[in-house]
Amino acid sequence: MARLLVQLKLRLLFNALRASSGARVAFVLSTTLAALIAGGVFYLLSILRGDGIAAADLTTVIFCFFGLAWLVLPLVVFGLDSTLDPATLALYPLRMRPLAVGLLAASATGAWPAATLLGLLGVTIGLAHGALGELIALVAVVLMVLFCIAMARFVTTSLAGMLRSRRGKDFAALLFIPIFAIYEGFFQILPKLASEGALTASSFGGVDTWLRWLPPGLAVHAIYDASTGHADTALLRLAVLAGIIVVLGLLWIRSLGRALVTTDTSTQSAVRGTALPFARYGLRGTVAARFWLYQRREPFAFIYWAITAVIMAVVAFRLVLSPDWFGGLVASGVAGGAFVGAFHSNAIGFSGPGFGLEASALNGRRGLRAYFSGQNIAYGVIAVPLVTAVGFVLAVVAKHPMDGFVTMALGLAAIGAGLAMANIFTVVSAYPVEKRGGTPIPRATTGHNGEAAASQLLTLLCVGVGVTPVIVAAVLTQSVSPAIKMPVLVLGAAVYGLALAWAGVRAAANLAEQKLPELAQIAIQSSL
Amino acid sequence: MGEAAIAVTGLRKSFGPKEAVAGIDLEIAAGSLAGLVGPNGAGKTTSLSMMTGLLRPDSGRVLVKGLDMWADPPAAKAIIGVVPAEARVFERLSGEELLEYAGRLRGMAAGEARSRAKQLLDVLDLTEDAKRLVADYSTGMRKKAMLGCALIHNPAVLFLDEPLEGVDPVSADVIRRLLTRFVSSGSTVLFSSHVMELVEQICDHVSIIDKGKIVITGTTDEVRGGKTLQRAFIDLVGARANDEEVLSWLGSSSN
Repeated sequence: MARLLVQLKLRLLFNALRASSGARVAFVLSTTLAALIAGGVFYLLSILRGDGIAAADLTTVIFCFFGLAWLVLPLVVFGLDSTLDPATLALYPLRMRPLAVGLLAASATGAWPAATLLGLLGVTIGLAHGALGELIALVAVVLMVLFCIAMARFVTTSLAGMLRSRRGKDFAALLFIPIFAIYEGFFQILPKLASEGALTASSFGGVDTWLRWLPPGLAVHAIYDASTGHADTALLRLAVLAGIIVVLGLLWIRSLGRALVTTDTSTQSAVRGTALPFARYGLRGTVAARFWLYQRREPFAFIYWAITAVIMAVVAFRLVLSPDWFGGLVASGVAGGAFVGAFHSNAIGFSGPGFGLEASALNGRRGLRAYFSGQNIAYGVIAVPLVTAVGFVLAVVAKHPMDGFVTMALGLAAIGAGLAMANIFTVVSAYPVEKRGGTPIPRATTGHNGEAAASQLLTLLCVGVGVTPVIVAAVLTQSVSPAIKMPVLVLGAAVYGLALAWAGVRAAANLAEQKLPELAQIAIQSSL
Repeated sequence: MGEAAIAVTGLRKSFGPKEAVAGIDLEIAAGSLAGLVGPNGAGKTTSLSMMTGLLRPDSGRVLVKGLDMWADPPAAKAIIGVVPAEARVFERLSGEELLEYAGRLRGMAAGEARSRAKQLLDVLDLTEDAKRLVADYSTGMRKKAMLGCALIHNPAVLFLDEPLEGVDPVSADVIRRLLTRFVSSGSTVLFSSHVMELVEQICDHVSIIDKGKIVITGTTDEVRGGKTLQRAFIDLVGARANDEEVLSWLGSSSN
């Protein structure tokens, strides 16, 4: 059974190379990233040598990071790896023990388990010293990989019923937000801090006091103890870790037996409220209500707002802590509005087949204006407070809280420009999207990636150009008293943004009137 | 035949080299319950999409109650209701919100839309699930909700694409009774299907489409020609070759 399931896993992996070009690129990128992470982590762990307990602290952090990744990522890619879902094997007459062994073996197959093993083996050069230390390091790394696999299996199997449901998929989708934030932190912020000497091995000194008692910490401190001559405590730590793995394995087998015969009932609950909000405010209000409810209930809509906030923070993070803080606040406001536009530049494609209902009811240019302005109201209701709040937080960090109004002003103008461009691009370059396993954000269907990239990049570029007058005004009035400058700047930017959005709505409605059937066909091709 | 509720002439559509609809002429009298039947890929969905203003034809004309669908789409679309084959609409709205949204899109007052939505949900046996998200509905429930969306503004002509596909017998009966009642008041229904028994049972007018062309059109009795509709359909469209010899092993043992 183990051999058969390993063969199945390998076949599924290599079949990706024969699937669509998108799947092929994803496979190659994933494998390359796994190799890079394996090499990078191996190097990082191998240079943590001779720093004593500080090296153990940082090694513990890295091991814990792997543990966290193995806990979270399988939930996100649940639909992608069919060997993770016990329901795919429920039809076959399989006994529990060989099935469990086979599923464990399948879990250990692939680029990411190999990357984990190879990367963590860096401790044999770094933290481990002496023959006993090296031996314990080998055992500890193998146990750590086993722990990651057993934990991932237990969690995904326990939640399998839920993860197959709509609510479970929604929950897994939201995990994308911390993953994106961690990714941005690792690749944008940490390298800068490390290069400036603000982040060293000793920075992690405090966290180890509690991380050492977690399973990854047990593995690392077993190596440290063995390398410093404390073989007994090293073996004790490994024994505790092995015990945790056995318990996880037993729990997993129990949940596997249950998952094979249990259906999910988590989607039976009802929504609150009795009617469509704002529907009494005409067609514009009705459309705004539909888009507003979607912003609250559709996970990828929520993810886009969270990513916008993260991008605003990352763009300004270094600058607001430097003498160029003003530039950081300006850049953050512009980026916020620009990404609001870019993320909604294919609203019709993202509406999916439901747009057919709207297309068969929208009458003429007037109806289309109400349609575009209605969706802009829903986006604006979220975008304006979000961009303003992030702007003020950054201004406080920069120790110039009043200049949060500058970010707010830039944000208001950029949101107006962004929504105008989003309306226009959703008509001139609408493209169908589809949900695929592994990512909660729908992506352009095969053959439409170019349109997706072009409309998003052009939206960002046009917003940059569109808000130039407000940037110039903000820079030229830096020396003016805030009491006079801020109200004028914010009000002027708001009016300017509204004017741009109004022009965008009119242009988009004029363009859409001529191609409503074509837009409906594109939306119907979307698979959400 | 009375006044034509739907009059289609010379309707054509090609996708690249493939001619999906190769010149359709069709006339459906007001008050008819008409079926458009054909095998998979015959051009049913493409034809209905063009008749409802959702797909621009290469050529041809579609008149609904005398209004030209492609010369004045807003006027023609205002008097029709559409249930598309794709059973996915706004999944993140509840059934009640979806029907109210459809009514409001059609220009109905909020109170009226809400009241009709409740009545339709009741008739469609969806009241208990009215507050659940459409994403959590079964296929049959989705089809019923979409029928509610199509009926909420009381259209003169209703187009349905495979309305009973994946629908359980109880829900199918609810839909069937609703359509019959709708037609008895003088409204018109055109629906596509490949379930011959259903079409034979409820339709007074049948058109058979194959390879993008109407092969035969007329009253159900005329099209049947004394046979069952299934037999008439197979005779006109042609049956597949017999594969029984190839599968000689099937059913002979447990291996």
